Amino acid sequence: MREHRLKVGVSGIRGVVGEFLTPALACSYAQAFGTFAGKGRVVLGRDTRSSGEMLKHAVACGLLATGCEVVDVGIQPTPTIQIYIGATRARGGISVTASHNPPEYNALKLFNHEGLFFNHYERRELLDIFYESQFRTAANEEMRSVHCDHETPMNMHVGRILRHVDAARLKTRRFRVALDGVNGAGSALSCRFLEKDLGCDLRAISVDPTKPFPREAEPRPDTLGDLQELVRRERAEIGFGQDPDGDRLAVADEHGRVLDNDDVLALVVDATLSSMPGDVVVNLTTSSVIDDIALAHGRKCYRTPVGEANVVEMMQATRSVIGGEGSNGGVIFPAVQYCRDSYTGMAFLLDLMERTGKTISELAARLPRYYRRSGKVAFEHGRLGPLMQALEDSFPDALTDRTDGLKLVLPEAWIHVRVSNTEPLLRLAIEAKTEQRVEELYGSVRKLLG
Amino acid sequence: MMYQRQLRISHVGLRGIVGFGLEASHVLDFAAAFGTFLDSGPVIIGRDPRSSGVMMREGVIASLLATGHDVVDLGVVSTPIIQHAILRRDAAGGISIGASHNSAEWNALKFFAARGTYLSTGEASELLDIYHLRKFSFVDYTRLGKLKSAPEAVDRYLDDLAAAFDLASLRDFRVLVDCCNGTSSLILRRMQERFGLDFILINQQMEGVSFAHEPSINRKTVSLQLAPLMKPLRADAGFLFDIDSDRVAVAREDGEAVSEEIVLPMIADYLLPRGEGKLVITNLSTTALVDEVASWHGGKVVRVPVGRQAAMDALATYRAGQIAVAGEGTGAVMMPRFRFVYDGIASMLAILSLMKERGQRLSAITGGYPPFSILKDEVPLVSQRVPLMMMELKKQYADGIADMRDGLRISWPDRWFHVRVSQTEPVVRVICEQKGEPPAALFGALMDVVRSMA
Repeated sequence: MREHRLKVGVSGIRGVVGEFLTPALACSYAQAFGTFAGKGRVVLGRDTRSSGEMLKHAVACGLLATGCEVVDVGIQPTPTIQIYIGATRARGGISVTASHNPPEYNALKLFNHEGLFFNHYERRELLDIFYESQFRTAANEEMRSVHCDHETPMNMHVGRILRHVDAARLKTRRFRVALDGVNGAGSALSCRFLEKDLGCDLRAISVDPTKPFPREAEPRPDTLGDLQELVRRERAEIGFGQDPDGDRLAVADEHGRVLDNDDVLALVVDATLSSMPGDVVVNLTTSSVIDDIALAHGRKCYRTPVGEANVVEMMQATRSVIGGEGSNGGVIFPAVQYCRDSYTGMAFLLDLMERTGKTISELAARLPRYYRRSGKVAFEHGRLGPLMQALEDSFPDALTDRTDGLKLVLPEAWIHVRVSNTEPLLRLAIEAKTEQRVEELYGSVRKLLG
Repeated sequence: MMYQRQLRISHVGLRGIVGFGLEASHVLDFAAAFGTFLDSGPVIIGRDPRSSGVMMREGVIASLLATGHDVVDLGVVSTPIIQHAILRRDAAGGISIGASHNSAEWNALKFFAARGTYLSTGEASELLDIYHLRKFSFVDYTRLGKLKSAPEAVDRYLDDLAAAFDLASLRDFRVLVDCCNGTSSLILRRMQERFGLDFILINQQMEGVSFAHEPSINRKTVSLQLAPLMKPLRADAGFLFDIDSDRVAVAREDGEAVSEEIVLPMIADYLLPRGEGKLVITNLSTTALVDEVASWHGGKVVRVPVGRQAAMDALATYRAGQIAVAGEGTGAVMMPRFRFVYDGIASMLAILSLMKERGQRLSAITGGYPPFSILKDEVPLVSQRVPLMMMELKKQYADGIADMRDGLRISWPDRWFHVRVSQTEPVVRVICEQKGEPPAALFGALMDVVRSMA
């Protein structure tokens, strides 16, 4: 199978830096963006990857060539950049970050004038401009410059979150918090936020943005060994693990056990709905625990295809107050910004612990219990249709949802199979009320998919 | 404003009107080709104040970092400062972003080798081949270059100049300079601070979009603002620099604009008696005054085809010690002391030093040179009959000495003409010089032939 070292598509551009993701490619993508966005300010930031500086200059070149003015915010978490774009009424923004991908990768994430990920139509339009390659060009007298603003974005981000938590009480409570910042773009902000703004007794590792990623970038139970050890050693009350661009969050309880990301989202949803009336949006592959919580608050839970942009779009349409993508570890709280934000997640969990006086493990234990299993299966091009059909045929009583792959909803269980946006893989997720039922379903689906 | 599309890719690099021919992709690809071409090591870059230089800088940095080179960005500086920094920092090469004497809408990339000079024709061909193949040596994420700055570059350059010229002795001169909104102002202001030279600067604000006037280095632009101010301000010497300060033109204390052709002879006059180097390297179109001046000091003029490449290639065939000076009639002059960097500021210091040494005013020095009259014109090139035209001219003027290395140059003891096709524009250039009165009849006859056949 071909190794997917470069992907130019609707979700942006991502690849292995060097032979595949070249400065010329990044520049022409930025030219397409500048042509689409129109003359005006475009915010440019990056994560800590070593290739970030090179690509940042290539992107700046492309933006300037189309007559945009570049506001360079330096190394910043993705949500911080998104908030800044919206707040400063920029034309849009580009973040040079490959989020949780391995270090040899980098990517361009694109934001519209509200600081939101490009929606489906914006992405198509941008891609058309990119392929047409008829970029707007600025003559010398139309050329704008590069301005730097490294401080304002963080202050804006923190300011927005602090409106929604009781920082004074958190400071008095002084939680002991462990943090694994993966030496990411959020390192500086995370330390400042937890220590100074929320008054925590912080025990942090991997918060040096000049160093390489010390672990696999995606925060998952199997990658957070260091955090678990840190929690136990420092007797922390909670542990936070971030991804390199600060949008994803994983949480360890006071025993050093990493919580299921769906449960983390469930706790944040519960905390939000307790103080703020409104509905919830999650993707199709997120746990039913969210439906249970929404129901308990008398609220609706909407489902969308996987992808932050899809969730955000539905949240806007339904004016929902909270949302996220459970398994990906993201919390979306529109009152801060329509984006996944690990900082909002951290603040809300600490606030919840303070208000309830309960430990994080006690809070998690109160959630309705579901058992989950996920996996991926490689498939051959052309075999997808028959596979999906066979799956549907073997569960004739299930309610089917085909908005993103195939979701089969069974009594007290569901199966979701979808094609990955980034690799030729089928992603499989199964949830049920009992462990035995999950294993049973998993076995039969794996057999069907070959 | 709409411009006619202009883009030129050649041995001298990349040049064009930004947004109308010269695009970001050209910048990235050329810089990537250069990064691929160079041996490993840092690359020095700098730019002139044109607004489009910011965009070009970003592209140049991206491609150089991607090909594994650390980049030392000197910011807005003159081209000679970049060349000096390459040598001093033992860099792999350098790129100057700027279109020197072209108007503001133009921009260009100029490439320098590790020895600080322009690429030889062989090296430039190699660079062009890599550019056209577009197979660049991009490195993986662990070996990407880093970006650095070097704020001390101007001072280190001034140190080099101070070691070659007795700057303290030049403090008595009141010097008027037309900076044409280019990089010379930052150098001269610093020179004033550090060495107490008496400069009066006009058009000293560096500008990105509009220059006070065209940055052409010739008698006409000297006459615009510089020459009329000489007498009112009681200046001893006046100098006009182009945007990246590699060329210079001169105004005298009596308000007379001196032809840019005289810069090279004056510097030859200063340098020839000082060292063992006796060769003056210049092109076939340069004034015969340089031969006359050279003959006074036992020097010899070596003429090469017009263009920077021919000069660079010629320099490479001599020991540096054999050469007194090299340059063009355009006000671009380079000295062996500075390892052959076209440098307007160093040229200015040489002319001031000549005045000091002789104890003569500029009017006396230039007035002491025998008068030569030069006539120049150009005719659009439309026909395919250039070789025929050259043969025809050669036949008509068979009594002179013919040189056919670059078009046709025919010389007689007191006059010469040169007819050649420009390398940069589709025109035939005609230049004709005579000692004493202008060679009007000869020039008229030449132009008739050229107009009828070009």
